[in-house]
Amino acid sequence: MVQFTLPKNSKVKKGKAWNPPAQGAPAARYREYRVYRFDPDAGDNPRLDTYWVDMEDCGPMVLDALIWIKNNVDPTLTFRRSCREGVCGSCSMNIAGTNTLACTMHADDARGAIAVYPLPHLPVIKDLVPDMTGFYAQLRAIEPWLKTDSPTPQKEWRQSKEDRDKLDGLYECILCACCSTACPSYWWNGDRYLGPAILLQADRWIEDSRDERTGERLDELDDPFRLYRCHTILNCTKACPKGLNPAAAIASLKRKLVERGE
Amino acid sequence: MATPLKRVRGLGAAHRGTETFWRQRMTAIANIPLVIFLILSIVSHIGAPYDEVRAYFAQPVVAVLMLALMISAAIHMRIGLKEIIDDYVQGEGARVIAILLVTFFAAGVGLASVVAILKIGLGS
Repeated sequence: MVQFTLPKNSKVKKGKAWNPPAQGAPAARYREYRVYRFDPDAGDNPRLDTYWVDMEDCGPMVLDALIWIKNNVDPTLTFRRSCREGVCGSCSMNIAGTNTLACTMHADDARGAIAVYPLPHLPVIKDLVPDMTGFYAQLRAIEPWLKTDSPTPQKEWRQSKEDRDKLDGLYECILCACCSTACPSYWWNGDRYLGPAILLQADRWIEDSRDERTGERLDELDDPFRLYRCHTILNCTKACPKGLNPAAAIASLKRKLVERGE
Repeated sequence: MATPLKRVRGLGAAHRGTETFWRQRMTAIANIPLVIFLILSIVSHIGAPYDEVRAYFAQPVVAVLMLALMISAAIHMRIGLKEIIDDYVQGEGARVIAILLVTFFAAGVGLASVVAILKIGLGS
């Protein structure tokens, strides 16, 4: 059966309180963060460490707070980040119970102590860094590039404005995996189910008027596990920090398959 | 030691699944009016004597609708139960056993219902 509880060595233990504010310090000035910590070298269970971020010295976003902690309190805190403006998708993590980007999540949008965990249901490499190997392999498997058989034109593959518009809502995906790791179907069957992010990418190439391998692409998705584990739970759409709708992309794939075969 | 891509590609796409998906939608749509009809049939016969209820279900139109409901519901149930197994049961052995059980169950319920309706409808 599906494993509904954490294995023994993954149970999160109580961690360390790093820098509790001094007695009498203005409470409003410090924001409490509870951060998942896992050190693969220590052999210990993961733990939840508590940090207090001085908001007078720190930017407004959750990523600002994590960087502040790393610079001022605990240099061993490990997380991915790069662009700090919601374009690269590196700092995706589970913040206050929701998968989102630390860089575009305003700390004021969460109430109380802010819990920060890695993306759910992926193996954890260290602290907030999950292993995305399987996710990237799934992206590779749907062959996310233009495939054509007609002779390559002298200048470019032309596309009408209307056809280009069909890619809106698809091309903006930054592959942060917030949607896939919010999806229960992906939690239970992430080895065979492609998940919302990858299916949205698949639809992006199937929708592309310049791509000539639409049928082959649909063939590769027509599978009880790869596509049809989607039960329209819609966690994906709720989670997407870019406001995209992977569930609609998946529905569009199913519609095309029905249109083709039934 | 297999590469991640090898693991993801696995045994390849089954090239099926759409038919099942579509069949589940079709039986779902069919079940809506059929179940409403069943509920109305039962409600309108509350307290009625056995012979009257039996005569009602023996009418050809009623019998056909009931047969349609039982066949549609059994197919729908088989697909739905298999979906649950595919979602939650892992390990090939357990999966195969679970699929066999739900298939026999759905077929058994469907066939027993069909025989019952035919017996009433044909008056034997």
